[in-house]
Order: sequence, then C-alpha cells, then structure tokens
Amino acid sequence: MSTLIAKIINIQNIDNLHIVKFDFFGQSLSMMSLELTDNIQIGTKIILKTKATSIAIAKDFSGELSYSNKLSSKIVAIQNGKLLTTIRLQTNDTVLESIITKDSSLRMNLQVGDDVVALIKANEISIQEVIS
Amino acid sequence: MISINVKNHILDLNLEINEGDFVAISGKSGSGKTTLLRVLAGLDSATGDIKVGDKVFLSDTNYLKVQDRNIGFVFQDYALFNNMSVEKNLLYVNNDKILCKKLLEMTQMISYKDRKPQTLSGGQKQRVAICRALMRHPSILLLDEALSALDPQMRTNLQNILLNLHKEFKITTIMVSHDPSEIYRLTSRVIVIENGKIINDGSPKDVLLHTSGSQKFSFEGEVLEIKKVDIIFIAIVAIGQQLVEIVISTDEAKDLKVGDAVGVSTKAFNVNIKKS
Repeated sequence: MSTLIAKIINIQNIDNLHIVKFDFFGQSLSMMSLELTDNIQIGTKIILKTKATSIAIAKDFSGELSYSNKLSSKIVAIQNGKLLTTIRLQTNDTVLESIITKDSSLRMNLQVGDDVVALIKANEISIQEVIS
Repeated sequence: MISINVKNHILDLNLEINEGDFVAISGKSGSGKTTLLRVLAGLDSATGDIKVGDKVFLSDTNYLKVQDRNIGFVFQDYALFNNMSVEKNLLYVNNDKILCKKLLEMTQMISYKDRKPQTLSGGQKQRVAICRALMRHPSILLLDEALSALDPQMRTNLQNILLNLHKEFKITTIMVSHDPSEIYRLTSRVIVIENGKIINDGSPKDVLLHTSGSQKFSFEGEVLEIKKVDIIFIAIVAIGQQLVEIVISTDEAKDLKVGDAVGVSTKAFNVNIKKS
C-alpha cells in the first residue's frame, strides 16, 4: 500500500456520489467515492492510499490519458522478480510503490533515476485517515 | 409515541419510538435486548417510566399488568397449543373469525387452518404464532429473534409476510435481530445496545454499512498464512466462513503476521458482482 498526504480543495457530488479533488505539492489528484464522512471537507488534510498494483507508470509519454491522477516521479529503486517488478517512485516527499510486470519494466527499459509519471485511476484512490 | 426510560440489573436506557414504526434492536448476546422487550411487555421488572401513547405502563406509582398492556410477543420457539387446530389457536386469543381468516390468508396459512401445530413445519408454526400475536389488535408487536431458527428461504418468506402485515395493520413493531439483511429489509431504524445502554441509533444503512475511511467494501478477518510468490506476497485471510487471498507488497507484508486481526477493504467501485 502506498500513502501520501494531501489537502482537499474541491468536492462535487450528485446524491451520495462524490468526486473529491486534492492538492499534493501543486499537483491535482482526484478520487471517486460514495458517502463521505462529515469530517471530510474542503481544507481537510488527509492520508490517501492506493494499492501498489494500482499504480501504472508512463515514461517519455505524450498524448492524453484518462487517468485523473498523474504524479511526476523519479524511480529510486527497482526490484526484479521472475515475473513481476517492484518500482519505488519518489514524488516530492513521498515514496510510492508500484508493482508491474517484469515484461513491461524491461520493455520500457526502466532504470533508477528515470523521470516517469505515476498513473492512478480516481476509483483506485481512497482516504485512509483524516489528519486535520 | 412510546417512551421508555428504565433501569434494572441489566438496562439503563432512555428511548423514544414513534407509533407505527418498525424498529430493530441489535447487539451482542447478553447486551439486554431481550430484557428490554420483556420489560416493555411487563415480564421483567424495572424502575422508571414507560408510556405508550397516553397509557402509562410503568411509573413510580403505576405498574400495568402484563395482560393489560396488550402487547403481541413472538419468540423463537412457537409456544402454540398443540391440542388445538391452527384456527382454534387464533380464536382462543380473540374470537374474531373475520380477523382470523384475514390473517391466515395474508400469511398463506388458510389451507392449514384445521391442522394441529405438530404437523406443521417451523416456518408454518411461526406464521401461526405471528397471526396469534396479532389477533388481539396489539398496540405493540415484539419479535424476539422470531425468524432466527428458520432456513434462509423461509426467513425471506416470513420477512415479506411481516412487511405486508406491518403495512396493513401499522402496528408498532420492535424486533430483536442479528441479521443485517433482515434489519435492512424490514426496519427504518436500528438501535444497538451494549451492556444495557444504547450505543448506536440510526437508519439501518448508517448503522450497519461497514466502512473503513472512504472504502465501502469492508470486512474484519484473520491472517492465516502469508506466502511469498516472486516479489509479492499473498495473504490468506479468513473472513467469516470464507477464505480469501489478498495480494500484498513486500512493505505491507513486513507489518503483518499470521494470527493478526485485519480489516480487509476495497472501494465500492472496484468490486465485481455476478448472479449466482
């Protein structure tokens, strides 16, 4: 599980369906959610979480993607298994963990020090905890 | 309005219920759920006040006898008279043949009216017990885990019958139940009791929906095994009667050990559903 601390900047809803937008060091993040608890409001600081298996990676990419969450990152570690690869991504003060297939990692020639974009769909992000 | 403000060796609570509502009482065994029903019916003693409409059931100076409270009570066991037919069981309580016929029709028991209770199935007996409880036009119907002993299909059938009866007669109904689906289908309010006190009170969805932060699909489980596969780990987790596998990363595996109690959750958006 990867976590990062962000601040809520916008909440839209239709009935109990919500789209919550966050600020993370000037980068905008979005989350789809059903009911929100009362303590989740604009200005609230929260810990967001996502599964390592839900983070995709883009390198040298140009074009449009439907991913709502695109975090500029640097690869700080790569651990190869036989089938899978774990990649550690530094984005500002936070390290995210991404698990992708080893095939993809090799195909993209991912190396420590590469500048990449971490991609997460809005339905793959959730609030773990409200901080303040 | 029914107002209950009672204390005894188990209970210490204050509660108001609107007339005509269908309310569930939930909580662990020994929490005081059944005691609350019994105090309301006058079967257990308590100090305090109970008022149903303008009728005083209990006060410092008043104690209305069980038979004068006009409460219908249905338990898990059926307590029918085995030597009487189904119809006689009902008419014994109140010799109102029109109501008797109506109730037996609504509960699909009319063709069994001449049968003796011992020849009926559990679900049929419980339908007779519910009819009998309604024969006296009770001001309150109390159901103490009335459907718990029945198989799931019969339970659903009886739940529909209870809903129809409630719609028809609009009797305030208070049901002790552990079954979230039963509470959700039947009631508009659930009151959770622990150690004789109310610890939660709200709509079934608010009280029963198990959430973890913004994650709606949430269960409690126990880690049975953690296996390393390639560079990931797979945790085998027992949730109720089921075992599930959950893929975790090396970092997550570091904080987990076999025997840990864990919360397992995902977003409502990410769960597949398929007719079985």
